[in-house]
Amino acid sequence: MSRRLLPLAAVAGLSALALAGCVSDVPEPVTSPPDLEASGALLEPQSDRIVAETMAELAAADRARRPGRLNDRVGGDAVTIRGVQYTLAKADDGPAPVTLPAEMQAVYVSAADTWPRTMVTVSEQADEDSTPVVMLWVQEDILTDYQMRNWAHMIPGATLPAMPGPSTGAEQLAMDSDAVSPTPQEVVESYVELLRAGGGSDLDETFAPDSYRERLFTARSTLTDAAKEADGEYVETVQPSIANSFAMATADGGALVFAPLTIDSSFTVEDATVSIDEADQPLLDGELDDTVTHSYLDFIVIHIPGADAEEGSLPGVVAAEHNLIRVSDS
Amino acid sequence: MSLRTTALVAGVIGVLLLVTGLVADAQRPPREVTPDAAVNTAVVVYEPAMLAFAGDNRIGVSGDGPILGLTARPADAEAWLADHTVTYVTEMLDWETLATTSAEPVAPSPSASPSASPSDEPSPSPSASDGADEEEAEPVDIVAETSQDHWRDEFRGTDRLSIKASDVVPGEVLVIVSTEDTPLTATDLTQTRDVQDGWITPLIWWGAFLTLVGVVALVLRFIDFRPAQAKGEEWINKRQRVSDGDEPAPGSRRARREAGEHLPEASLDEEAVVSARSVDSASPASAPSAERGDGSQPGWPDTTVPGLNEMGLDEPGDGDRGEERP
Repeated sequence: MSRRLLPLAAVAGLSALALAGCVSDVPEPVTSPPDLEASGALLEPQSDRIVAETMAELAAADRARRPGRLNDRVGGDAVTIRGVQYTLAKADDGPAPVTLPAEMQAVYVSAADTWPRTMVTVSEQADEDSTPVVMLWVQEDILTDYQMRNWAHMIPGATLPAMPGPSTGAEQLAMDSDAVSPTPQEVVESYVELLRAGGGSDLDETFAPDSYRERLFTARSTLTDAAKEADGEYVETVQPSIANSFAMATADGGALVFAPLTIDSSFTVEDATVSIDEADQPLLDGELDDTVTHSYLDFIVIHIPGADAEEGSLPGVVAAEHNLIRVSDS
Repeated sequence: MSLRTTALVAGVIGVLLLVTGLVADAQRPPREVTPDAAVNTAVVVYEPAMLAFAGDNRIGVSGDGPILGLTARPADAEAWLADHTVTYVTEMLDWETLATTSAEPVAPSPSASPSASPSDEPSPSPSASDGADEEEAEPVDIVAETSQDHWRDEFRGTDRLSIKASDVVPGEVLVIVSTEDTPLTATDLTQTRDVQDGWITPLIWWGAFLTLVGVVALVLRFIDFRPAQAKGEEWINKRQRVSDGDEPAPGSRRARREAGEHLPEASLDEEAVVSARSVDSASPASAPSAERGDGSQPGWPDTTVPGLNEMGLDEPGDGDRGEERP
């Protein structure tokens, strides 16, 4: 029996051996992964979804006039500012909240692999009397959503620099990054110093003209004169928030810096009682006597020209928002 | 070696080839193979290099319940995966096995407790129903509980998800998640390979042919054809043999041939002789036949005619051929 099986086994073995040689080898593994086609942090569908969800949340909160509903896609200073606007809107003949258009004409995304990251949009004009709105979204980490933190209307006549498209994304610059000169932080601090010093400062020539500081200086001058007439004093303090500031590289090697500012305007008179506009009454905290302080939560967008920019280009504010958030008696 | 022995050897070789071919045909390796690997995590990851390796082939993942395939930038996927237990499919070891590695979370899972920030919205307070503790916990969607802003594309399936690897944008990571956080069970990768089996069919045909040759030789080996052969030879001999004492039947073709009937009659007139001589140079073969006058050619009549009879060949057109046959 075994003699008969032996040839069969030999044949089967031969066949198996032959067949084993018939099968091609396992392909070699791919050792170098292909390059990412779109290296930006967000593709257009992603940014569209973020914008849509943000605007939906904002619209729902606007209808209810409740800032508490701004808990997912809207955060940071935007909640505070919007809450103030709801408060004002609830008053008789109060102003409606600032219109934030949902249609965007440009979206700038980050190329960063780390957090926090930013996304910036430029809206269409809400109407003929307003300029496009620059909105800033921030994602703190991978687990949290992009949140709209601030917005600012563009300075009339200003233009935003060209930015890298979503396929590559814009480099996320640290505030102390030396990729641009001066650094974003130095620019913000210099601009704040200019705001503190006023129009006569030497720093005024280091920044391009903008209507934001012109209005600020005009108001300061008016209030200072009024305080002097009442033997009082007008003091204005300006503080940047570098920790909540962000910078993105522009296509020309420059940077776009987004910086919130806190401005407190304290008006004091002697032997008199100050008064405020009726429209600001809902924001009054306390009972006014001889001092009133207006607190603002501003947001500015500064363009730092790159090395490829035209000769003599100066950093300048391209968008700014002046938001009154509180009126206090001290 | 005789022809029959050679055929038998060919038959043996043919049997071997045929059996080998049939066995090989039965064991022919499939071109479509699906190497797989067992997994036991809720998240399975194919990184860009592995997706490039997969090409146009399909990636499959099996599990229980909804399965979601998501793509993301490598940096984003890495950050998200850092909080999950993950199985990475790293390579194909052979045509049946995928290699995998597992990774544990590098950081504690984020707390699911809601934000403590004050809200002027009335928060819905769930009412505890009787026996609520006995109910199983609701499945947690591990994708929805965190931001999904970084996911670029998604594929959905239930119990099994099959994705064409080339549908994932090159450079992106494919993250496959059991959204209810139940472990996935297996992953596989369909592959098409080259199998050099073109020799099997010719081997079978050649084996069959040689086996047939051997079988014929073997059959001839056991059958004795000598009696039939002898009969055949005898029949042939009988048919051809003409004995010396046989006298042709009177009037038969043979008798007439022996009588020289078939030879043409020649005229012995002087004119005919002269005429024949005059054309000697043109037709040398006809001149001698005229000189004999007996109807035979000189030096040739006894060899040509009898020779024809001995060979049993007939003149064409002879009408009484049947009289001479036995």
